[in-house]
Amino acid sequence: MACVYIPVQNSEEEVRVALDQLPRDASDILDILKAEQAPLDLWLIIAREYFKQGKIDQFRQILEEGSSPEIDDYYADVRYERIAILNALGAYYSYLGKIETKQREKEEHFILATQYYNKASRIDMHEPSTWVGKGQLLLAKGEVEQASAAFKIVLEENSDNVPALLGQACVQFSRGRFSDSLELYKRALQVYPNCPGAVRLGLGLCRYKLGQFEKARQAFQRVLQLDPENVEALVALGIMDLHTNEADGIRKGMEKMQQAFEIYPYCAMSLNYLANHFFFTGQHFLVEQLTETALAVTNHGPMKSHSYYNLARSYHSKGDYEKAGMYYMASVKEINKPHEFVLPFYGLGQVQLKLGDFRSSLSNFEKVLEVYPENCETLKAVGHIYVQLGQTDKALEILRKATRIDPRDAQAFLELGELLISSDAGAALEAFRTARTLLKKGGEEVPIELLNNIGVLHFERGEFELAEQAFKDALGDGIWLSFMDGKIFSSTMDSDVSTRQYKDMQLFQRLEVDGVSVELPWDKVTTVFNLARLLEQLHDTEKASILYRLILFKYPDYLDAYMRLAAITKARNNIQLSIELITDALKINDKCSNALSMLGNLELKGDDWVKAKDTFRAAREATDGKDSYATLSLGNWNYFAAVRSEKRGPKLEATHLEKAKELYTKVLVQRPANLYAANGAAVVLAEKGHFDVAKDIFTQVQEAASGSIFVQMPDVWINLAHVYFAQGHFALAVKMYQNCLRKFYYNTDTQVLLYLARTHYEAEQWQDCKKTLLRAIHLAPSNYTLRFDAGVAMQKFSASTLQKTKRTADEVRSTVAELKNAVCVFSQLSAASSLHFHGFDERKIETHVGYCKHLLDAAKVHCEAAEREEQQNRQRLEVARQVTLAEEARRKAEEQRKFQLEKRKQEDELKKVMQQEQHFERIKEQWKSSTPASKRKDRSLAEDEEGGYSEKRRKGGKRRKKDKSSKAHYEMEEAEAEMMDDQEEMEDEDARMMNNQEDVNEMNDLEDGGADNAQDLLVAAGLEDSDAEDEAAPSSTIHRRRQAWSESDDDEPTQRQIESSPNRENSVELPESDREIREENDKTNKDAADDDEED
Amino acid sequence: MKLAGLKSIENAHDESVWAVTWVPATDARPALLLTGSLDETVKLWRPDELVLEGTNTGHCLGVVSVAAHPSGVIAASASLDSFVRVFDVDTNATIATLEAPPSEVWQMRFDPKGTILAVAGGGSASVKLWDTATWQLLATLAVPRPEGSRPSDRSGSGKFVLSVAWSPDGRRLACGSMDGTISIFDVARAKFLHHLEGHFMPVRSLVYSPIDERVLFSASDDAHVHMYDAEGKTLVGAMSGHASWVLSLDVSPDGAALATGSSDRTVRLWDLNMRAAVQTMSNHTDQVWGVAFRPPGGTGVRAGRLVSVSDDKSISLYDYSGR
Repeated sequence: MACVYIPVQNSEEEVRVALDQLPRDASDILDILKAEQAPLDLWLIIAREYFKQGKIDQFRQILEEGSSPEIDDYYADVRYERIAILNALGAYYSYLGKIETKQREKEEHFILATQYYNKASRIDMHEPSTWVGKGQLLLAKGEVEQASAAFKIVLEENSDNVPALLGQACVQFSRGRFSDSLELYKRALQVYPNCPGAVRLGLGLCRYKLGQFEKARQAFQRVLQLDPENVEALVALGIMDLHTNEADGIRKGMEKMQQAFEIYPYCAMSLNYLANHFFFTGQHFLVEQLTETALAVTNHGPMKSHSYYNLARSYHSKGDYEKAGMYYMASVKEINKPHEFVLPFYGLGQVQLKLGDFRSSLSNFEKVLEVYPENCETLKAVGHIYVQLGQTDKALEILRKATRIDPRDAQAFLELGELLISSDAGAALEAFRTARTLLKKGGEEVPIELLNNIGVLHFERGEFELAEQAFKDALGDGIWLSFMDGKIFSSTMDSDVSTRQYKDMQLFQRLEVDGVSVELPWDKVTTVFNLARLLEQLHDTEKASILYRLILFKYPDYLDAYMRLAAITKARNNIQLSIELITDALKINDKCSNALSMLGNLELKGDDWVKAKDTFRAAREATDGKDSYATLSLGNWNYFAAVRSEKRGPKLEATHLEKAKELYTKVLVQRPANLYAANGAAVVLAEKGHFDVAKDIFTQVQEAASGSIFVQMPDVWINLAHVYFAQGHFALAVKMYQNCLRKFYYNTDTQVLLYLARTHYEAEQWQDCKKTLLRAIHLAPSNYTLRFDAGVAMQKFSASTLQKTKRTADEVRSTVAELKNAVCVFSQLSAASSLHFHGFDERKIETHVGYCKHLLDAAKVHCEAAEREEQQNRQRLEVARQVTLAEEARRKAEEQRKFQLEKRKQEDELKKVMQQEQHFERIKEQWKSSTPASKRKDRSLAEDEEGGYSEKRRKGGKRRKKDKSSKAHYEMEEAEAEMMDDQEEMEDEDARMMNNQEDVNEMNDLEDGGADNAQDLLVAAGLEDSDAEDEAAPSSTIHRRRQAWSESDDDEPTQRQIESSPNRENSVELPESDREIREENDKTNKDAADDDEED
Repeated sequence: MKLAGLKSIENAHDESVWAVTWVPATDARPALLLTGSLDETVKLWRPDELVLEGTNTGHCLGVVSVAAHPSGVIAASASLDSFVRVFDVDTNATIATLEAPPSEVWQMRFDPKGTILAVAGGGSASVKLWDTATWQLLATLAVPRPEGSRPSDRSGSGKFVLSVAWSPDGRRLACGSMDGTISIFDVARAKFLHHLEGHFMPVRSLVYSPIDERVLFSASDDAHVHMYDAEGKTLVGAMSGHASWVLSLDVSPDGAALATGSSDRTVRLWDLNMRAAVQTMSNHTDQVWGVAFRPPGGTGVRAGRLVSVSDDKSISLYDYSGR
């Protein structure tokens, strides 16, 4: 056992102190040391021994005593030992400062250490060990440059000073100059080959940092040879083993870590690595324990960061996002720059994304991108966040980058596709298809949602076959195939229940009874629905209805299927069943605004105005007014209400119009791109007479509406045509109506045909008008109004032909034929009216019949007149011909005369003159005899005319007035006729009231008419100005009449708008279906979002 | 089964062609085509080259219906003015002019034996039966209003009769109305039997299967073709595929195929066993108002023929081959 001998003062004796038997109380030893004035090196030895035995207090007591001022005085000349004691104390406090975690104490320790070193320096400025100590202190304080300076001072004295070399190596290492550091370590080893293993550790670390892993490994192994319990070396080797990334290496590495842990359980590094290992083995309890210990024992930032990260990850994987977020945060806080350790940023980002804190999440992911700008996972996450934040452009940019970096990442294409759906369907489809190809190539199963989305996009682009194929791919095998192939079709049902065919479920029940399993997996419902929608679009309504029913058979709460079935039944005009289906849908969700809107429409179709309004209101309230469809419907309702009656209360009309405008505007504020609202607003404008603005809006809407297959807006075409019509551009209006009919209605809409006929009528194209009306009758045979209109058109044609100043007998003859037709039409209507086929008043029709018959009579006169005139013309021609003949004869005679003159030059001149005169006389007489005759005829005709004419003139004033009123009368009747359709939409009371009104008008007219009925009719026929010869007076009549015409014209446009209303109903159905598909897209989006969470 | 276009005549009429029928072959000549148009004329054509044989005038307003007697000797045409003109096909001599005001005239059909002409009476809610020997009105088959319908219904479209069809044995007569109901009558007793329901839009054309006298096909504005067991009062099937109104239909003489003409400008051929459309002809550019298979008979004529007429003023002839 080692001992020291304290020489007893003034004697040769020594006190033997066994170092392993040092007294517990250091004072005993101190007493001896002081008493015997022992040399200072003994103090140091004993203090060091105490230190080695872990008796720190004693160690400090001795050294503090050894550096006390008395000692300084007493041992003033013993400089080296005093310095050594001071340096020992300095080193001790440096160490304390280094390991202290609390900042204040840490600094106190460093201050003490500095004081001791300074004291030592005061004893001897040049003592190298003091400088080395100072250097170590400065290193501990992190003041690398000053430490380096201290070591340099020593090394300049003695370049082989090992501690200084080691110190400088340490400095270089922390500066990152690993090769310089390596050189210094090497020199230290050369100088002092038997140095402790720790020196080689430094060597190994340098090699490791320099990437010389084999040499590093050798160095660490050498350390372990020298000191088998060197934890750092074990950990270092363990890390190297782990980094081999091979099962064997990992196992070896873990063994070493475990060894290190057993030797020294407080090494944070090994604890972290062990925790990491147990994380992957799923032993979360161990992870927590290990990392908590690691956190307790280390103060090193990056180390703690790792520990927190391990903890966070453990909680993350357990789904405890709150805690995970907290620990990730703690981990991140320990990191100065993301470059040091980026993983916790990623984890934090994920957790925050999960918790919905998009902005924080985004900033963390962006930090990851600073380090790894091309990390696909992070790019996808960032893209996803931008989507959530609504920054679509940025999201697009990011995801495009992701797909560019890794063109084989199906997931990225998937996300990109989903993002593009709303903005660029074509590109979205492209992305989805790439994703599908990638997944197929990778042998992975293509998700149903992806195929569904591809199908929907094809569908929206009108590529129905591709869409069908995609849906079929998504669906695979199943009962639906049998329905699709027509192997099973709907069951035979009794005619009484056949009206309810779209609610029939017996088909499936029967199949089940027959042992066929009717299955529909939940994840395929959406696609079956979309396929059914597609079939509907392809007009394969029957199959579509079976698929919808299949969905309802299996999932009776699938509301959209009810909606579509209701839409199908509505399209087939089975209103009763449609309402039933909607009622079923509302049983599932009585707040479903779509169902309510549909119900409102159905109620409107059933003439239930009040109910419809309530339903639309309910629909709007169900969505807090956010559902533009319901608001629009209310707007339409108000519009219809404003214009439905031609006897409008101006006040009521204005209120309704104002309300309609308000509602349309409301929708436009919410959705500036809503075509239907814009259309509605323009209709109100047109109603108020602002045709130019309205036309602008209609034109824009028309352009916008021609983009998608789901937007079918015939009304905007009709409205545009109405505006053209109102502005008198008949040709344009005709073209517009015709295009609309062809484009949207397969030429089957009688209402539009009626508009067309009306335009022809106004343009005075009578034959076109008549033909158009006949077509309309053919399409809608039970609409007697059309027959009435046709009669009026023919009557008008005849009247106008008779009014013409020039007309041929042929024209008049065709007029007569047309009049006969008109009489025939009116008589039939009259006959039918007794059977109450239609709502016309018999008397009114009889008035028409009477008028037409009168016209006919008049026409006969005209016909005769025309024929007579024709004859006259023929006679006149004959006369002219005779004149020409006479002239010819005269000329010939003259020629002959000249010829004779020439021949008989020598003949007597007198005789010649005589002859000439005689000849002239004869010709003159011929002239006289022909002209007076024709003149007389003319005059007699004129007299006849004048006779009748003067008679007329007497009554002229009154008649003109009458004329005007009767014109107005006819105008009105036509308007009424066309109103009949609109009338149907009205409530019964109103209709009755209006009929009464009509009757009253009628009566008045008839009473007036009774007085001079025949005269009136004649006047109306325009007989008084029918002759070409009359010019003065009649022309003014014509003029007046024109005025009357134009007056009534002015009234027309406002009425005309009425007719646009019923059409609007059609158009509003489509957005529903569109919306449904969009919803499907949303659904899949959600799915994708869910996928994001793992990793 | 297959249709193949043979010949089309553009501007066969000056206006829309609304009606077509085959005039059966007589000993003297093969089967002819009879068409009626909005241009107020009725024209006679000789297939397969569709040579114009004659033009009959005399109608006012558009010609909505034509019908040919099974003997092929006489035919009838009717126009919007509600007059029926019965004439000799070969001489165009008027045999009779029929009128039964206030009843209008829509579809007309001779019964299979040729003794009765049935005329759909429109708003009179009845079918008029005319004796083809005397040209006197035989009977009026009135369609009863279904119970529960409002008597105050002013619209008049309640039971507006548009179409008629005879069963192949001539015992039954079906008529279709604007509101979509089909009524079945016992002709011998002039008695209404029952309604067939399922359509809620006008039924513009009806035809019995030539091989099964219970089976009735109906074409409706709801774009569907229904197949009924007219005796059993059951809806056997519904066929969809047209994009717009189905205006006319006819069953092939072999009873295996159905042809339909629609407002969607197409002619479709349906396989009745599969109940699916097997072919769609899109040669017309406007509504197809009439389709008709050539009835069997005539010397040396085996090949199947289908004709279609359209608002586009044209007539198209197709070769029809069964399986």
